[in-house]
Amino acid sequence: MQVLTFLFKRFGWMIITVWIVFTVSFFLMRQIPGGPLNGERVLSEAVRARLEARYNLDAPISEQYFTHLWNTVRLDFGPSFKMQDFTVNEVLAQGFPVSAALGILGMVFAITIGMTSGVVSAVRRNSVYDYSFMLLATLGIAIPNFVLAAMLIVIFVFNLQMFPAAGWGDISQIILPAFCLGAPFAGYIARLTRTGMLEVLGNDYIRTAYAKGLSPRTVVLKHGLRGALLPVVSYLGPAIAGILTGSLVLERIFVIPGMGSHFIEAAIQRDYTLAMGALLTYTVLLFVMNTLVDLAYSIIDPRVKLE
Amino acid sequence: MFIAGFAVVWAVNLGTLPPAEFVFNNGTEVKTIDPAKATGVPEGRVINALYEGLLRSVPDGEPDELGRTPTKPKPVAMADSYQVSDDGTVYTFHIREDAKWSNGDSVTAIDFAWSWMRFLHPETASEYNYQLFYAKNASKFALVDLHEGDPVEVEMKDRPVAGQMFPRGTVRRGSLLALIQPPAEDSHTQDDGHGHGGSGISGTSIFVVEFDDKSEKTIQAFTTQSLDDEGIQALVKSYQGMHDLSELSSVEHVLFDFQHVGIKALSTHEFEVTLNSPTPYFPELVAFYPLHPVHRPSLEEHGDREFTKPGKIVGNGPFLLKERRIRDRLRLVKNEMYWNAPNVKLKSVDVLAIQSETTSLNMYLNGQLDWDTKPPNTLIPLLKERDDFVSTPFLACYFYRVNTSKPPLDNPLVRKALNMAIDKQTIVDSIVKGGQVPARSFVPPGMNGYQSGYCGEYDVEQAKRLLAEAGYPNGKGLPTIEILYNTADSHRDIAEVIQQDWKKNLGVDVSLRNLEWGTFLDTLRVGDYMVSRSGWIGDYADPNTFLDMFVTDGPNNQTKWSNSLYDEGIEKAKYESDPVRRMAIFKEMEQTLMDEQPIIPIYFYVSLNMVNSRVKGFTANLQDVHPLHLLSLDSEGAEP
Repeated sequence: MQVLTFLFKRFGWMIITVWIVFTVSFFLMRQIPGGPLNGERVLSEAVRARLEARYNLDAPISEQYFTHLWNTVRLDFGPSFKMQDFTVNEVLAQGFPVSAALGILGMVFAITIGMTSGVVSAVRRNSVYDYSFMLLATLGIAIPNFVLAAMLIVIFVFNLQMFPAAGWGDISQIILPAFCLGAPFAGYIARLTRTGMLEVLGNDYIRTAYAKGLSPRTVVLKHGLRGALLPVVSYLGPAIAGILTGSLVLERIFVIPGMGSHFIEAAIQRDYTLAMGALLTYTVLLFVMNTLVDLAYSIIDPRVKLE
Repeated sequence: MFIAGFAVVWAVNLGTLPPAEFVFNNGTEVKTIDPAKATGVPEGRVINALYEGLLRSVPDGEPDELGRTPTKPKPVAMADSYQVSDDGTVYTFHIREDAKWSNGDSVTAIDFAWSWMRFLHPETASEYNYQLFYAKNASKFALVDLHEGDPVEVEMKDRPVAGQMFPRGTVRRGSLLALIQPPAEDSHTQDDGHGHGGSGISGTSIFVVEFDDKSEKTIQAFTTQSLDDEGIQALVKSYQGMHDLSELSSVEHVLFDFQHVGIKALSTHEFEVTLNSPTPYFPELVAFYPLHPVHRPSLEEHGDREFTKPGKIVGNGPFLLKERRIRDRLRLVKNEMYWNAPNVKLKSVDVLAIQSETTSLNMYLNGQLDWDTKPPNTLIPLLKERDDFVSTPFLACYFYRVNTSKPPLDNPLVRKALNMAIDKQTIVDSIVKGGQVPARSFVPPGMNGYQSGYCGEYDVEQAKRLLAEAGYPNGKGLPTIEILYNTADSHRDIAEVIQQDWKKNLGVDVSLRNLEWGTFLDTLRVGDYMVSRSGWIGDYADPNTFLDMFVTDGPNNQTKWSNSLYDEGIEKAKYESDPVRRMAIFKEMEQTLMDEQPIIPIYFYVSLNMVNSRVKGFTANLQDVHPLHLLSLDSEGAEP
């Protein structure tokens, strides 16, 4: 029951947030100079008038706002200005799974690499492993992902010739970008896990577990890790946001036709409808992810109350 | 974790597509593959593969001294021959008997007449429609330029598919008896989507049309606005004339009758175009992709946007669209129905939309691309040493526009001084470094039978004298001049060299302003600049594509420069049928342009291509066109 009320409340807030994002970006977009119909060749007046009519740009701004809002409510984002063969819905439908695959794999990298090295560092505190993992974690956090991408391309594409340089089509093409995407978050997660683990391993119940004669492996993985997970889970919210925005640059470098490329191009080309569609998708996505993280948090730690 | 793993496998599988036989980077996602709505070079590469016009511009003849093969529009396309009347105004194209659409239908003259009608139709709003204004009455149809007595076609509001332009509603043909417009002062050109805003006729107009059906004459009044439109109601009220407006009805369009436009299918295979004046480069325009035909039945079935989708698209070009992934690639496969299919060697082509020049080069060097269309400028000096670097000057000019309405730039002497004080050779040698040629004229050299104008060499002394003559000895009294450019490293570097040149040579203070592309275009359009970076790529191999830009208030002029002699000269050249005299007129006009200098040419571009040595049939040429159907792969397969 509590969960349902929580979800219901969150949904209400989401609607309000989406509406505010819609309104602010609708007017901001039209404030910046340039428009979707401007090209290098200046359009003749007749052609411009026709195109404005086609995209409803000639109506008063308030009328445009309400038409667009109503269409958005019906989940119809309209035709894309700059990719005339597609509607915004089609563009998003093609871009979203691509970004999702990249994001999920990036997240998988971040969690597996981060947690493993965090646990190892904590258990083997002050060993060579600990120092080198934590050094790598710091590097991962400090190096921007596009720099990391450039370094990895030089090493893995040109020197070792293990991966293709860019593109989207098979599994070998997703590894490098997903790794670059996940690396900084792996670094954070490693540090969080290590700290959490150290704290937990000092607790009495761990000593009890050892005393019962459980193997170190069981103690660490079953009793220790559960306690150390909490800070990691609470970090997942910002991590997902970071992964979403981080992919904007990487998609460009690795030519991945995901949401990020569409979003950047839409903003540069003043593709009002596509920019709006991508923006609202991001808003909803972030909201949903944060809600899921909060839910997960309450499941792992019963002390946390949903509100 | 399982779910995550599953999601990854699913999403990757969704995108699995083994590379095609031939892969090239087109540089950007194409805006559309509908010939009537497309503009731009990347769009042209794709549309020329999917569709074919009456003629094709293909490399033909002996290479010139720079190794460039001339390109010529030739009847090696839908037309297998064409005739021109003696006065040069009537073109008759014969469409080859074996021309087929990819679904097996024959390509006919009727397809062309219909496609060109759609191209010109105001509702299509083609940005290139002026390319066909050479045909008789075409501009009247496209711009709804109507006068009393004109033949008109009225399209009723009964379109079979609501919201879809084709199939059209019932079209009735008659003649325009009267055109009732609101008095000029309160006419508003607001457009509700069906009016004619922006053209000569206000949206709020009433058309009185006479129909002559079977010896019975009927007269009816129409408007393209809705009947409860305030403007229309006011117009009806204030009207005091002989016509009865009580049965006014609202229709989709009232247009100049297309049957009176000089575009006609004489038979299924004879297509006739009547021009206003002899236009020697008309074949070039016919070969240009906006005039490629589209398949009417599929367009009418699927609608204006859907008909371009893989599986639905019906083309007549050497290739078919198999798959399209947005901002990733277009997969083309050979079209077996193409008339010349046995000579098309490539079986499948991937057209990639990579925007990052570095990534594109990485992929080329890594063997993922066979042809890279834009290697990064900074690496050109290194790449130039390689055998697979194909580069040659082509029909494009990098220049600065000067806003001639802003003092002191309104003085031609100042503009000339600025031009002569730029060391263009240094820019070419130390900034762009790709073998570009310093420009002493606006029209690039190499056009058949044309000798370009001349704007003088780098001459500091002369520049100083001109500036003193203009009243600014040693730059005294000159305000700061601002150079506007769109954000890009190469533009900034060039602007900085010019800034130094002007400061050092003339004592002029120069500031730089960079704007992001969209804002830049807007600023240029409203004329809020002093000097602005520009570029122009010729649409066809004729000086006209460069020179007609700068007629008074031309849509691409943007310098506020106006010279009535120049306007007359460019107009006169349209009607000149003698090629030698015509080129002489152009030369004189370009010299005027160079003498008054509303533009400062900087350098002529070179085409830059990286092409894998296994690709055969790739010829350097003046227009940098490389039709895909002429390429083939060496089976030996050399690696880069």
